[in-house]
Amino acid sequence: MTALVSGVVLDVVVMASDGPPVWLLAAGPAGAVATYWALFRYYRNTDKSHSYERDTIIEAKPVQGGREKIDHISKTRRSGIDGDNSSRHRQRVNRLR
Amino acid sequence: MTEENKPFDGPPLSLEEELAAARAEPEAGPDIKTVNEDLADGVNRCPKCGSTDVRLRGSTGMLVCLFCRNEWQESRVEEEFGLGEGIDDLQGTVIAGGAEEIDDDANAVVTLKCGGCGAEVVVDTAHAMNARCHWCRHTLNIQQQMPNGAVPDAVLPFRLTHDEAVTRIREFASKRQLFAHPRFKKEFVPENVLGVYLPYLVIDARAEATYAGTGEVQTRRWTEKHGDNSTTYYAADVFKVDRTVQFTVDDLTIEGAADRASKDESKTNNIVNTVLPFDTKNAVKWNSSYLVGFTSEKRDLDVDDLQPVLQDQLLSIGRSQVEGSIAEFDRGVRWEQEGLDVGGSRWVSMYLPVWVYSYFQEDTKMLHYIAVNARTGETMGSVPVSQWRLVLAALTVGTFLEGIAGVLLVALS
Repeated sequence: MTALVSGVVLDVVVMASDGPPVWLLAAGPAGAVATYWALFRYYRNTDKSHSYERDTIIEAKPVQGGREKIDHISKTRRSGIDGDNSSRHRQRVNRLR
Repeated sequence: MTEENKPFDGPPLSLEEELAAARAEPEAGPDIKTVNEDLADGVNRCPKCGSTDVRLRGSTGMLVCLFCRNEWQESRVEEEFGLGEGIDDLQGTVIAGGAEEIDDDANAVVTLKCGGCGAEVVVDTAHAMNARCHWCRHTLNIQQQMPNGAVPDAVLPFRLTHDEAVTRIREFASKRQLFAHPRFKKEFVPENVLGVYLPYLVIDARAEATYAGTGEVQTRRWTEKHGDNSTTYYAADVFKVDRTVQFTVDDLTIEGAADRASKDESKTNNIVNTVLPFDTKNAVKWNSSYLVGFTSEKRDLDVDDLQPVLQDQLLSIGRSQVEGSIAEFDRGVRWEQEGLDVGGSRWVSMYLPVWVYSYFQEDTKMLHYIAVNARTGETMGSVPVSQWRLVLAALTVGTFLEGIAGVLLVALS
């Protein structure tokens, strides 16, 4: 069994490095899931809610605050910060007391 | 009390100070009295002819006397109670009369003595706010704010007519026919839409929100080759970031009925929530004649119950306000802590108008809604889906894409 799995992995690696891009085979399942998800959302609208952050009359004073350098990342493959929630306004984090 | 016996209350004021004190407005109390005194006897009479046969005329949003056709309306609460003013100076929690705490012992069923003939008429305030006297045909209204939470401070009259609501619901559903559940399609009768006044608490608030987290700024980006493959790498500076913003919100609207506020998955309450906001500035003083011909729901959530919801929404609003100030962190910001100080809030209870078409899906036991905001016409809904059709469509698309991928692979090999 292990040998079989190793063989398959080896085949895939060989195909990935030498042949055409094997990841194209994921297009079918990914497309099916995306179609189901998009149609379901269009019919059921489970993701919709009132955008009170935008549709309420809000008057804000200028934002105060600062920044302080604490570290430097010299080499990473991540294109963004881990756990970016700057645009997820409704995702609650620890409350300051 | 004689002049000699008066307690000493500080040195005498100057003439100017005395005059200023006399002219000054009395300080605002902790609550706002919104009772419509004109309707204290429970009978809403036409100001022209005295008839009690009064109802809302949807096309004008005014009350119309069905006897003499006179039209009039109650005053807007915005001006009447100064609701749009002084949000910057709000202190503590200011609660209008209709938003006060609900008395658990209060009965939903109220007996009114008819002002016309003296008969006793029963009104179930959980579902209706008026009833006709079966003897003299007077319409009796629940006007006084009772401790059972049935009477709000204000009401926003229906503007969209039944026909307009039916048209919008039909349009909405007709765009979603192909994958709709066959039984829903068969049983869909948009004419059954109901006009419902739903209870909301409308809140003005002043708050300060604080956020702390970590942000990253990209300093370098380069690509390294590993044989045939290449990988992109990044270098970045990491910063501790903090932001504080003070803001006021005007007419934040939150559901006042637990049934409607609950977002559990057996109901599609998010649909009713989505048709917000309403033009709450046009709400008028409470007069239950606006409710004739419509159903209504009773408020059962108190200000204290909704404080966490308000805080949650204020924190979200604050986060959206500070978003513009963190653009320099091009790799993003991860907020880790947040704090809120609500300096003051003002709570007013309102009935807001919604056309609701509901459909109970037997097999999944789910209640679906198609809701229309009866002021703005915004429509949103949940249509039951036929799962096998959705799966079939997904598989078809998947197979098609897989076929193209196969052809490409063969061509490239």
